[in-house]
Amino acid sequence: MNCPAKGGKELCLEVRALSFTYHSWKEAKNTPVLTGVDLCLEQGSRTLLLAPFDRGKSTLARIISGLCPKYLPGVLEGSVHVCGKDLAHTEPWQLLLDCGYVSQNPQEQFVALSVEDEVAFPLESLGLGREEIARRVDTALTNWGLQDLRSSSQQELSGGERKRVLLALQQAVNPRLWVLDESFDDLDRSWREYLTTLIREGEGTTLVLASRYLEQFEDLFDRYALLEGGKVRFGAKAEILHLFSVLCGDGLANPLKGQKLSKNVEHTLVCSDLVTVRTRVSTLEARPFRLSVPHFTITSGDLITLVGPNGSGKSTFSRLLCGLDEPRGGSFTLDGKKMGARDLNRSVGYLFQNPDLQIFLPTVREELSWSLKRRKDLSPDQVTAMVGECAALFGLDLEETPSTMSYPLRKALQAAVYYLLDRPFYILDELDNALTYSVALSIIALLRRNGAGILLITHDRTFASLVGESTYAIEAGVLESI
Amino acid sequence: MTTNTFVAGSGFLYRMDPRAKIMAMLLICVLLFLAITLEGLYATVVLLILVGSVNTGLRHTGRTFKSILPMLLFMALFMPFNVRSGQSLVSIGSFTLITREGALQAARLGGRFIGITYACTLLFATTPMTDVMLALRWYRLPYKASLVVTLSFTYIPFIADSFTQISESHRLREGGELEKRRSVFKRLRDLLPTLTSALVVALRSIPYLAMSLEQRGFGRSEKRTSYHSLDSYRHGFTDFVISLTIPIVFWLTFRAR
Repeated sequence: MNCPAKGGKELCLEVRALSFTYHSWKEAKNTPVLTGVDLCLEQGSRTLLLAPFDRGKSTLARIISGLCPKYLPGVLEGSVHVCGKDLAHTEPWQLLLDCGYVSQNPQEQFVALSVEDEVAFPLESLGLGREEIARRVDTALTNWGLQDLRSSSQQELSGGERKRVLLALQQAVNPRLWVLDESFDDLDRSWREYLTTLIREGEGTTLVLASRYLEQFEDLFDRYALLEGGKVRFGAKAEILHLFSVLCGDGLANPLKGQKLSKNVEHTLVCSDLVTVRTRVSTLEARPFRLSVPHFTITSGDLITLVGPNGSGKSTFSRLLCGLDEPRGGSFTLDGKKMGARDLNRSVGYLFQNPDLQIFLPTVREELSWSLKRRKDLSPDQVTAMVGECAALFGLDLEETPSTMSYPLRKALQAAVYYLLDRPFYILDELDNALTYSVALSIIALLRRNGAGILLITHDRTFASLVGESTYAIEAGVLESI
Repeated sequence: MTTNTFVAGSGFLYRMDPRAKIMAMLLICVLLFLAITLEGLYATVVLLILVGSVNTGLRHTGRTFKSILPMLLFMALFMPFNVRSGQSLVSIGSFTLITREGALQAARLGGRFIGITYACTLLFATTPMTDVMLALRWYRLPYKASLVVTLSFTYIPFIADSFTQISESHRLREGGELEKRRSVFKRLRDLLPTLTSALVVALRSIPYLAMSLEQRGFGRSEKRTSYHSLDSYRHGFTDFVISLTIPIVFWLTFRAR
């Protein structure tokens, strides 16, 4: 029973017979994302809603927060009540104290120009006094380890730091219902533990939406549910986890184990004595960030993982390795030959954490053929054949519009673009975020099948153990093998 | 979805009251359009560049100039041809290419453009946007209007940021020695999808910005309070006097007779 009978505890969230279909911009109608969803959460409950990617998890979160269909048009049927308020007659700003939503993609939620202003913005909306705002901002920033970054702008933050800002904001406002969409992703181990404690000890109601069952979830929730086929199904923990595992293909063999590589090439990229220093332009208080890499080697076919806390410099190192930034000191060699930034651009493919920064064209076909069309060794027919084959490998529809595709499909497209470039090395920056293990592993296997060396950045130990043959870590500004 | 224009520093402009700075910026912009001599116009521009270099550093000042350089080149190349009358400076046979008046007009327009750019950049680079907003509200601009002004000024750099990220992404997708040699015209044409993409990214972010503002309680009926205040600026009166004096002295000294 998704909705307990009246007479129990007061309901914080009551969703009845909810169906939703996105507005179609083409002639063909879209298929419904949610069909007849019933979901009721009692005051103070902690619920985990699992769903493989592309099943309407984020849509449901946005509907509950009052943002959909107002900003993401579509046809909504059924009713949603948050803390007794009917969302059909409630504006998002009226839900500030009732429902707080942390999006899967933190970048889309920033409105202010500094970390402290971001946290203060909703408190100003509530009309709180300056002292009270300052107290809440200070507490939240201290709790989430953001005091040193308080005047930084969001451009200067890492993915994990951005998530922490949004979680700090939730803590400062403390709404009655927290809707956390993949909020554990991007956070390193210690901040995941902190979020776990906050949920466990909090008095409010929490709905965590996730596409992976993380070790931190153990014994955290009192209700477990699965979103599949547009419906929410509640059940015992073991039952839900089993069904979820089947849906995610967790029983499938790891495609990286014993993978045969099709090319027999051997390249070795070595970085020696790299040093880079970065200052934050928005503040004079923070110390300049410094990263040094005494020695790093990656060879064709390697599977290396890179771990480190949020903001430790993983993305900074990646930018150096692919030649987007130049180091202050040190050198790169490929097969013993010294490499400059432009050579690195063409040898190391870098899949950014956020796929939207790497895909821009109107169709999947154009996105995949962009680089190939510029090559002098390929005829138009060859380009068409390669693009078609690649789309089939990554499960992409060539006529689809990337900007309207789901987040995981956009990740797959980003990987497909790089697959066609056939680089000797790839950096995958938190590829596993919002993807099931099996999908993330198959993407890695595809990128590696021509013999590429892979450097994977991840916070998920389980995933790292499925991929990495060796591991590097960044601690106190130094990257070393562990 | 917004980019910070503030550059941290400790120069005198950072300590100046934002209300006075806004007034100085407006008066300087007006001064640039008043009937002043060309020497006066460029003296104002040089003063702005000097103040900028002292406060935000040479690097930031240089970057600002670099960002408007294409526009300046365009003006320098085409403006002189617009004015056909007056004393001929360059001619081919009997056909006058550039006149003295045309060159002077181009120089005046270029000077105004540089001046306005630096006056605005200095305000936003040395004042946190929250203080700009408080200062606008002190001038009785409604909160929503102040928010629109400040968001607009942070949105332009956001588009520039998107352009950089997209260019970086394209750089990583190039084919190296396998790539066809492209003419300058083709390279310029290739900029078009990057520009379009940057605009699309910016446009796509608009509903998300609106969504987030509403989620943060923008639109609530309570009277909105402010976390920041302008109390830390202690020399408001002196700053206003300076802001008034400099443009007036420049106008009196350099007005065209």
